[in-house]
Amino acid sequence: MKEIIFYLLIGLGIGSLYATLGAGLVVVYKGSGVINFAHGALAMYGMFTFDAAWNRGQLYLPWVDFLPTHSLNLPVRITLDSDGSWPMMAALIVALVMAALLGLGAHFLVFRPLRKAAPLGKVVASLGLALYLQGVALLNFGNSFPQPKSIFPDKSYENFLGLGRPFPRITLVAIAFAVLLAGALWAIYRLTRFGLATRAAAGNEKGAVLLGYSPQRLAAVNWVLASVTATLAVIIVGPIQGTITPVGLTALIVPALAAALVGGLRSVPIAAAGGLALGAVQTMLDLKKSSWFDGSLSWLQDGVRNVIPLLVIIVVLFVRGKSLPMRGTVEERRLPLSPNPQRISQHALVWVTVAAMAAFAFEAAGTRTVFAGAIQTGLVFAIIMLSVVLLTGYTGQISLAQMSFAGIAAFMMARMMADGVGRGSNLVAVSGPGLPWPIAAAIGVAVAVVVGVIVGLPAVRIRGVQLAVVTIATAISIQSLYLENDDITQLRAGIPAFVKTPTLFGIDVGARSVRQQNERPAFAIFAAIVLALCAIALANVRRTGVGRRFLAVRANERAAAAAGINVARTKLLAFALSAAIAGIGGVMLGFKQVEVSSANFPFQASLVVLAFAYLGGITSINGGIVAGMLVGASVVPVTSNYFFRGTNIDSYVGMLGGVGLIVTAIVHPQGVAPFFQGVMRHLGNWIVSAFPGLQTVRAATGGPRRIVVQTGWAVLVVGFAFFVHRAQFIDDVYLWILFSLAMLYFIVFLASKALGPTRPTPTDARHTWAASIKRFGPTALVGYVLGWIIWPIRVDSYSKLWMPLLGAELALFIRSVVRQVKDARSPHEQAPDELAAHDVATSPVSQSATTASTMAEVV
Amino acid sequence: MALLEARSLTVSYGGLHANDDIDLDVQSGKLVGLIGPNGAGKTTFIDAITGFTPLSFGTVTFDGVDLAGKSPDARARLGLTRTFQSLELFEDLTVRDNLMAAAERPRWFSFATDIVLPGRAGRAYREQVDWALSILKLSDFADRLPSDLSHGQRKLVGVARALAARPKLVLLDEPAAGLDTVESQLLGSHLRDFLAHDMSLFLIDHDMGLVLNVCDYIYVLDFGRVIAQGTPAQVRADPAVISAYLGESAGEAQARHGVSFGHGGSEEDQ
Repeated sequence: MKEIIFYLLIGLGIGSLYATLGAGLVVVYKGSGVINFAHGALAMYGMFTFDAAWNRGQLYLPWVDFLPTHSLNLPVRITLDSDGSWPMMAALIVALVMAALLGLGAHFLVFRPLRKAAPLGKVVASLGLALYLQGVALLNFGNSFPQPKSIFPDKSYENFLGLGRPFPRITLVAIAFAVLLAGALWAIYRLTRFGLATRAAAGNEKGAVLLGYSPQRLAAVNWVLASVTATLAVIIVGPIQGTITPVGLTALIVPALAAALVGGLRSVPIAAAGGLALGAVQTMLDLKKSSWFDGSLSWLQDGVRNVIPLLVIIVVLFVRGKSLPMRGTVEERRLPLSPNPQRISQHALVWVTVAAMAAFAFEAAGTRTVFAGAIQTGLVFAIIMLSVVLLTGYTGQISLAQMSFAGIAAFMMARMMADGVGRGSNLVAVSGPGLPWPIAAAIGVAVAVVVGVIVGLPAVRIRGVQLAVVTIATAISIQSLYLENDDITQLRAGIPAFVKTPTLFGIDVGARSVRQQNERPAFAIFAAIVLALCAIALANVRRTGVGRRFLAVRANERAAAAAGINVARTKLLAFALSAAIAGIGGVMLGFKQVEVSSANFPFQASLVVLAFAYLGGITSINGGIVAGMLVGASVVPVTSNYFFRGTNIDSYVGMLGGVGLIVTAIVHPQGVAPFFQGVMRHLGNWIVSAFPGLQTVRAATGGPRRIVVQTGWAVLVVGFAFFVHRAQFIDDVYLWILFSLAMLYFIVFLASKALGPTRPTPTDARHTWAASIKRFGPTALVGYVLGWIIWPIRVDSYSKLWMPLLGAELALFIRSVVRQVKDARSPHEQAPDELAAHDVATSPVSQSATTASTMAEVV
Repeated sequence: MALLEARSLTVSYGGLHANDDIDLDVQSGKLVGLIGPNGAGKTTFIDAITGFTPLSFGTVTFDGVDLAGKSPDARARLGLTRTFQSLELFEDLTVRDNLMAAAERPRWFSFATDIVLPGRAGRAYREQVDWALSILKLSDFADRLPSDLSHGQRKLVGVARALAARPKLVLLDEPAAGLDTVESQLLGSHLRDFLAHDMSLFLIDHDMGLVLNVCDYIYVLDFGRVIAQGTPAQVRADPAVISAYLGESAGEAQARHGVSFGHGGSEEDQ
């Protein structure tokens, strides 16, 4: 008994951290109606600022120097004291000022512009903020930063309260701090005019405005309050919780959310008490787990600690679900409209062909082989992104557990394949039935579906941001109870599980070759086909009754029920289908990696998946596919890293992604997919009108049997690429691609001769070329000249030939983005018919014929 | 037996009886109206019948089925649909899809057939949706989004959505509110047409003219209680109704004007 009391008291130390962070979440929610997933990250940045100032005498500003030059630099590091240390109090003040400024920045730069956005937009923006701060901290401070010192001397009370053990003094300080802070905040809200005004604005924003208060100013003060207290808490209490890393501190958000929910997002003292209790119970379970969870329960030992916040969150939400305050904001926007996909199978055909050609081109392309891996990553993640499009984009349910579904499917598949023999990098034998891959994969996906339905159960009662909170807690529980649990997976820490190579009709479609790089074209084609099937399935969902019910539920649950739609069942169906797609993605990720480990499916990855799906365009299929191409190690980052070599752009991906998310949420909630679409559509039309004979061929592939004709073309193209690839008579990959395209065009041109009169005629094609040079030439020239001027001051290793070309390319890119943003009339409400025109994926060939003059409209 | 039977229906919020001991019948094939001043509990009554508000006491039977414990969507599937005063359209779906979503009665495996055979999806319901669109003259707007339509047209979409499922009884919650006179008359002339399609209607409205003109039978609600019922002529003459609508205050004169307007309208019809 004494022992348990002692553990509980020790646990109050970490509990005080949860308590203060939870109180901060309540403060922000009261002040601005945002559930701030970046709260831990804000505190983290303040904490590291303090440590760098105190112990190294340096101040890091919250951004990085992204200018790729030596002579032009953004100031990032300010040396406060060349001796390498600074007085503690001064450092503390600097850190708290930094925290206050970050809080102000978060409010005025991110959440104030979003005050009328859909709840999802706010969630995504706070995820973006967390990603940004985490990315900046990783660059400025590093994840293996020497551990910050505690500001209190490491002393203990012997035999504390007669419990017979030494009790660390810092724990006592932490508890006192949490209690004092909660008391102070309570007093502020109860006793001051500011507190009264904040509560009034939280209840009725319009009313507060009428009474002469500025809700935005109140919100700003609350943001500062939350950010400063969180920083202070982490500085004082942080060292208790063990290793301090930017990522680890950001993850504190989940127990903090549990504490905030205990307080009903309303009461600071109750939230603080909840946080303290949560920490106490967690620590006690952690220390007693080996004796309490024994025998048949021993598998619970590893995960039980992280399940506690989930249990607390679920119980709180179920008990008081409807009594949680929904902020009475003036007007809330809905998610962007979901376009109706059109001609999906044609688009799928074109893109599978393109992916196959690229996969053949980059299989053995020297340093450019990274593209082959990037294509595979992009295709696999695009599948996972589609699961978000279905669940969040179509049905409006915010889930932060998508990667957990993928992980469950992959792990279950690996286990079903295991046969008790260790192989590959996994020498530990795992017992299992040794099933062939299709059956194992199907079982994996089926289990993911079951888990998906269970995770979806809370969605029946709760919605919006609260669902995000439940699902993130679930994701952490799945991670620690299953993926990281040796007792269940039989894998020792850090050792991945082996995945069999998939074969189709006797052909090896696995990802890894003898070169041990993931570059085999067969897998890229396999993944592209699976992605295409998933996209077609999703398009069919969107176009038919099941999608109508999803969108009806998204739009208005009351009206959906009145129309005879079973809302609960519809939501669960969405969770099931989404988990199935995510599971397929997870299985494909397993095939791509050749082995799976829990490191592939951390809960943070689910946040990134949701965030990037939003960045791509969460309500459309091509948004999901673009999102897949945008995630780290996928096509866009790898390409930029390759073309911007020497600039370390890949280390900026987290930070840039964060900025991109915030900007997208504010300026263009439809995501970036429409940009790609516009560019692709016009590029396609341009190609068709710029090369003699292409229009003739396109006209001939229409008609009722067009899908057969087009499949024929696709097979011809892929077969041709395969032939050139196998012949290996050209080494340079660019020459290879040029040669293939030239040969293909030659074949198409011959075909057009056979089909009828050549369209466009060579003269028309020449006009197209002339028109585009007139249109794009000046911009490209400016970019070229700028690149030539900047060349001497850059940090990369470009030749004087490449840099101006890159400059020209960038200038054209910027031009098209600027044009498109300008054309979008109003950021939040685009004309619906215009949106409806954005069909699912753009293809170079299948759009209706237009001439060069119409492409002037957008590009 | 009546199609809809409410017996001793009571809905209380705390100590307040929003609906107090209401007995009400809707006969099959009839247009029954419910009128009453603001705050009389009209919308609460519809919410209670359709399952959006729990009953404190009493029973509701629809088509011989006791509705106790049935969810709103289950009631809709039984053939009891409603419209909303505040429209509540599916803003993300086109007008046709709004109706399709309400018309379709999916089986548990429908999602699978939809995904595999999208061409077949919804074919069985297209006809009744087209019917609902045409009866409210919305066919030209079928592929538009609700946000593109005028308020009056959006109202009609709400009504069409309730009709699309071919229900036995439609509860219309103030369908004429916010409509201009022409639109309101147009709607009134439509309402009696619906009855010919094997359908019964229950109408709530402020517009006394509309209710008195088109209904077969009228209930008058005040402070949550039924204070009068009968044919339009009986209700018009009922002293309790007159005192509920025509008090001493200046504002009541307007209501009286509404009543006399109703008179005029019905005489013209005859």
